[in-house]
Amino acid sequence: MAYRVRPAVIGCAIRPAIIGRDRSLEEIIYDISQAALADAGLVIEDIDGIVVGCNDQFDGRAISVMMASGPTGGVDRDILSTPSASEHAFVLGALRVASGHFSTQLVVSWSPTEASSMSEAQRLGADPYFHRALPLDELSAHALQASALNHVWPNAWVFAEAVAAKNRRHGAVAWPDPPARPRAGPARWPLTERLTTQPVTGAVAMVLAGESFVAEHSCKNPAWLHGMGWATEAAFLGDRDLALAPALVAAARQAYTEAGVIDPTAAFDVVEITDATAYAELIAYDALGLAPRDTIAARMADGWFARGGRLPVNLSGGVITFNPVFCTGMIRIAEIANQVRGCAGPHQLEGARLGLAHAGSGFAMQYQSAIVLGAS
Amino acid sequence: MSGAKDRDRVGIIGIGQSNFRSRRDDASYPDLVREAVVPAMLDAKLDFDAIDAVVYSLSPDAMVGIGNAERLGVDAVGGRNKRFLRINTGGATGISSVTAAYYHIASGVCDVVLTAGADKVGECGDSQTVLNKIWDPTYERALPLGTINMLAMSAVRYMQRYGMTEEDMAYVTVKNRRQAALNPRAHLRKVVTIDEVMESRVISWPIKLMDCCPQSSGGAAMVLASEQFIRDNKLDAVWITGVACRAETYWMGDRMGTNPTAEHADAYALGRSFEQSYRMAGITDPANQVHIAELYAPFSNTEYHAIDAARLVAKSGESVKRVRDGEFELGGRLPVNPSGGTLCTNAIAVTAMARVAETALQVWGRAGAHQVEGARVGIASGNGGDHQIFGTMVIEA
Repeated sequence: MAYRVRPAVIGCAIRPAIIGRDRSLEEIIYDISQAALADAGLVIEDIDGIVVGCNDQFDGRAISVMMASGPTGGVDRDILSTPSASEHAFVLGALRVASGHFSTQLVVSWSPTEASSMSEAQRLGADPYFHRALPLDELSAHALQASALNHVWPNAWVFAEAVAAKNRRHGAVAWPDPPARPRAGPARWPLTERLTTQPVTGAVAMVLAGESFVAEHSCKNPAWLHGMGWATEAAFLGDRDLALAPALVAAARQAYTEAGVIDPTAAFDVVEITDATAYAELIAYDALGLAPRDTIAARMADGWFARGGRLPVNLSGGVITFNPVFCTGMIRIAEIANQVRGCAGPHQLEGARLGLAHAGSGFAMQYQSAIVLGAS
Repeated sequence: MSGAKDRDRVGIIGIGQSNFRSRRDDASYPDLVREAVVPAMLDAKLDFDAIDAVVYSLSPDAMVGIGNAERLGVDAVGGRNKRFLRINTGGATGISSVTAAYYHIASGVCDVVLTAGADKVGECGDSQTVLNKIWDPTYERALPLGTINMLAMSAVRYMQRYGMTEEDMAYVTVKNRRQAALNPRAHLRKVVTIDEVMESRVISWPIKLMDCCPQSSGGAAMVLASEQFIRDNKLDAVWITGVACRAETYWMGDRMGTNPTAEHADAYALGRSFEQSYRMAGITDPANQVHIAELYAPFSNTEYHAIDAARLVAKSGESVKRVRDGEFELGGRLPVNPSGGTLCTNAIAVTAMARVAETALQVWGRAGAHQVEGARVGIASGNGGDHQIFGTMVIEA
């Protein structure tokens, strides 16, 4: 392992779907930051630095990190932001702890739904000359990816339906409170309503610490970082084969090399995948090396990726259960941290020791990350 | 926390900057990024296979009119299938990006990291229209607040507290324009007089047109590497020996009070950030140990409190007299903004990176006509948000 200091996740907070308007965004960010600190048994004075993952278009502000300095505890503290993706805030927080310059980091991300049109906010991310007029939003890009996969794997739609059904079953266990389960979302062919989910407001925060801090503070159940990879694909969809995910292959290679994972099909107890659509989960099985494409059908028939199967994927219910769009990537990492810490809640997998989190974001999952966390 | 000297250092091995201008109709946004990346890579004598990760430097998306415009820059930085993330801390973004690149290497994960970006502020229509939207929409946006009147209020407070005059502000502009005239990359290079600054139209009293930075277009890029990589490959480098970041409150209403954090004349968090950078670099007497400073000051008055916060003077407010005495100009004891600084060039996404790049060039002895003789230790700073998020660095030969 390359890290100068080994980072661990010592506190996590995932806010269930926030329904209604009784809390401002500042209050939501304050609540989630304090909840993660409380989970770690710390107060803000214990925190050396903060990294937030927030997005100007979704927040409806220019430089949205500015508003966050108060509610996260960033005043008179080191605070940076990664607007590219929520998961990048985790990556940078982990790098800062790994450098030994910081004992602790608070990483926070959120995704409001106050934008009058999420689709229009996302369309601003398309280049103004070629793609914006299509019109292209994230769901349309996911639909193009689904089409690409159906083209090379004509039965993919059958397995996509099965993946969505599996994740909804998992979601019913993980989030028994009905308001946490948003309605089926708008369809974009070939994505049916069953394969999409309405965006909801959400927030997530984690506390990271270095190994000496963990020892000195007797932190309970740390989730140790074993490996971390992140990579990007090109922006222009025409430059990509959307049925493949070379950036995820690269990210997985980085993470597995750091973690010493040789056979990913047998290495992990539990996995969280950013199922922005069920097709994205199918692509990730292959790109992460969890199941080559020609084995997926047989494994799904055996319940391999379901609760009780050999490698449960998305016991949290995944994005199709809970879709705070911008912070779904960091939520996957927090879910795996909680699984290996043994505090995932109703969907805890008994004896989970090593987990893999996949975070993907952008048009047709342009940004891809893979994070390996373990109980020891 | 421990200092850089306790561990392997991180070095700067390549620098590229555009010649900044009002408009660059000849170059698309990714073209401008590439324009800086190519000379940085040539300077580092590396090809793209050597780059382990990219940190993309881009402040508000609205400035280029594209949401998450960093995605369109992926090919310009050679980022496909590589580690890639973007930083945004407003005007501090450039130095925050170098800071993030630093941690990629200091963590032990990467050996070589490219950080790059560009901005087309000169072509965004009006940057103030974008920047008017950084304030809270419910309480403060409607006052109305803008980045200029925000810092005009700071100027008024600085006048009241330390006796700065409008002529003192003009003196900074005159100094920095004279220095920018020697820097072919600077945007505003025309030498001006005190009278010309004083006669320029009032934008938000006491800030006049010539007390303001321009809206610039251009790119910047830097290549950083681990000490081990630099030694193994026998590369030339200068070293980042101090690095820090500090934030203040978001709310302008919280900048009025008796607490030091609420003194809008000063730059409290900038001072705190410099304290930490100096501690890491082992600098105890910056006024005598630092040879050159590139301090982010988009309006003439803000250079004074930046000099104060960097402790280049014994106490706050002393900077006014010392600038008048010529101590901080090229040829003086400790030149501040020998490149002309932010006051003469402001492509927001990379302005604070240019502060780091210019400091690095100075301690490298490669700054050209605005070289500070014998500079071996330099400092750089960046300010972002509503004078809220500050980054600082110490760079040594």
